[in-house]
Amino acid sequence: MSFDFSSVFDQWPLFLHGALLTLELSVVATVAGFVIGTACALALRAGGVLGGICQVYVEAIRNTPLLVQIFLMYFGLASLGFHLSAFVVASLSLTVNVGAYTAEIMRAGLEATPAGQIEAGECLGLSHVQIYRHVLLLPAMERVYPSLASQFVLLMLASSVTSQISAEELTAAANYVQSATFRPFETFILLAALYVALSLVMRLGFAALAFVLFPRRRRLRMATA
Amino acid sequence: MTRTGLLGATVALALLACAGTPARADKLADIMKSGTIRISTDVAIPPAGMMNAQMQPTGSDVETAELLAHDWGLKLQFVPTTGPTRIPNVLSGKADIIISTLSVTPDRAKVIDFSRAYTVLQSVVGGGPAIKVTSLAGLRGMTVAVTRGTTQDTELTGLAAANGFTVQRYDDDATLVTAGATGQSPLIATSVALIDAVKQKNPASDFAPKFVLDNFDIAIGLKKGEPRLLAKLNEWVLANLRNGKLNDIYKKFYKTDLPAAMRPPLVQ
Repeated sequence: MSFDFSSVFDQWPLFLHGALLTLELSVVATVAGFVIGTACALALRAGGVLGGICQVYVEAIRNTPLLVQIFLMYFGLASLGFHLSAFVVASLSLTVNVGAYTAEIMRAGLEATPAGQIEAGECLGLSHVQIYRHVLLLPAMERVYPSLASQFVLLMLASSVTSQISAEELTAAANYVQSATFRPFETFILLAALYVALSLVMRLGFAALAFVLFPRRRRLRMATA
Repeated sequence: MTRTGLLGATVALALLACAGTPARADKLADIMKSGTIRISTDVAIPPAGMMNAQMQPTGSDVETAELLAHDWGLKLQFVPTTGPTRIPNVLSGKADIIISTLSVTPDRAKVIDFSRAYTVLQSVVGGGPAIKVTSLAGLRGMTVAVTRGTTQDTELTGLAAANGFTVQRYDDDATLVTAGATGQSPLIATSVALIDAVKQKNPASDFAPKFVLDNFDIAIGLKKGEPRLLAKLNEWVLANLRNGKLNDIYKKFYKTDLPAAMRPPLVQ
């Protein structure tokens, strides 16, 4: 078998467009999913009705396949009369999905905070908001940062299934090139290489973010992402 | 290379050349003698080939095959196949002929012979009643959904920029049909049969063909080098186009007549 990458490389604008859309989807879902997940983790910790709702959400999402969630949102909402574009549904479902995982990861981080530290904060006269920010959230995030980062990279890789609902991300672009050039092996080798590159870009981004967010970690030279 | 080696190679070549020439009686005589015709048909592509509630094969290709076997007074044996194994089935001798929505393409014609076209595969753009388009030019500003990598995808993608429309691609036919039925994609380009499938899934969508993109000739495929079988198949196709039987089959499954150009004047 001989390889011929030239016909595949000729399609680079498609790959570039696809890679940008994958990155866009990942960034939107990472940011929004982190906010939702953290809010859920705090609600889970507080308990009550809101905590119960969050528990149901987290369990429902973590126990069903992403593709099923995407189809439910794309075709289910359409059957109810809400016609959202493929990109919007892709971002929404990825956000909802990664939000549930983030909630579990952040909950673990929050639970690892010793009660004594919160009491210490109260003794020092910190306000409620200050305790949440300096004693609970940032240290919790610091503890679970590597898991968070890898969850978001996983999300980027999982975004490949949104090609099913016609989002023109990287995998969709590759599938198109593959069917037009009849060069599946070359196309998917290039696709894999592009995903590796995107993963590296994301990991670098998370490492840079950790550098800014966690000065203590920097001093201790701990692993970041 | 030694002299014996050279001699051996020549003998081997000569043997190969002999093996390549047909050394047996023709296929038509074989079929008639055996009393059974083995026809390769894919029964997983409704409505050309499918299983009914009793798990019996039915569909336009199935009925065409039954008609042929009946006319020739032969017992019919279906050789189940999938799309990619249709041609290998006749090449390897597992089946005598292919009646399985086999569109005539130059690439295929290099490997097998085709009879004259017995039906067509209509590729259309379809949608609900709210959309009024009658031609490619009318698609400006709209989005047409297709299944990725199909002939419709290739064709429309090439025309999209010049005609100002967008092509939306789903990974398979099932998703495409669901997208049409749920209203996620108000316009889809596919075969006539699938447009009907959208309507059956959601009658409220009232999906119907808007205009024809292409008519692909569908013919019976057979192994090369069987002139008598080919001639008899051609004769049978022409006769059944003339008497309207092939049109009846088409109409039964596709709810529309064969294109006028395919229907020779009726001969009683």
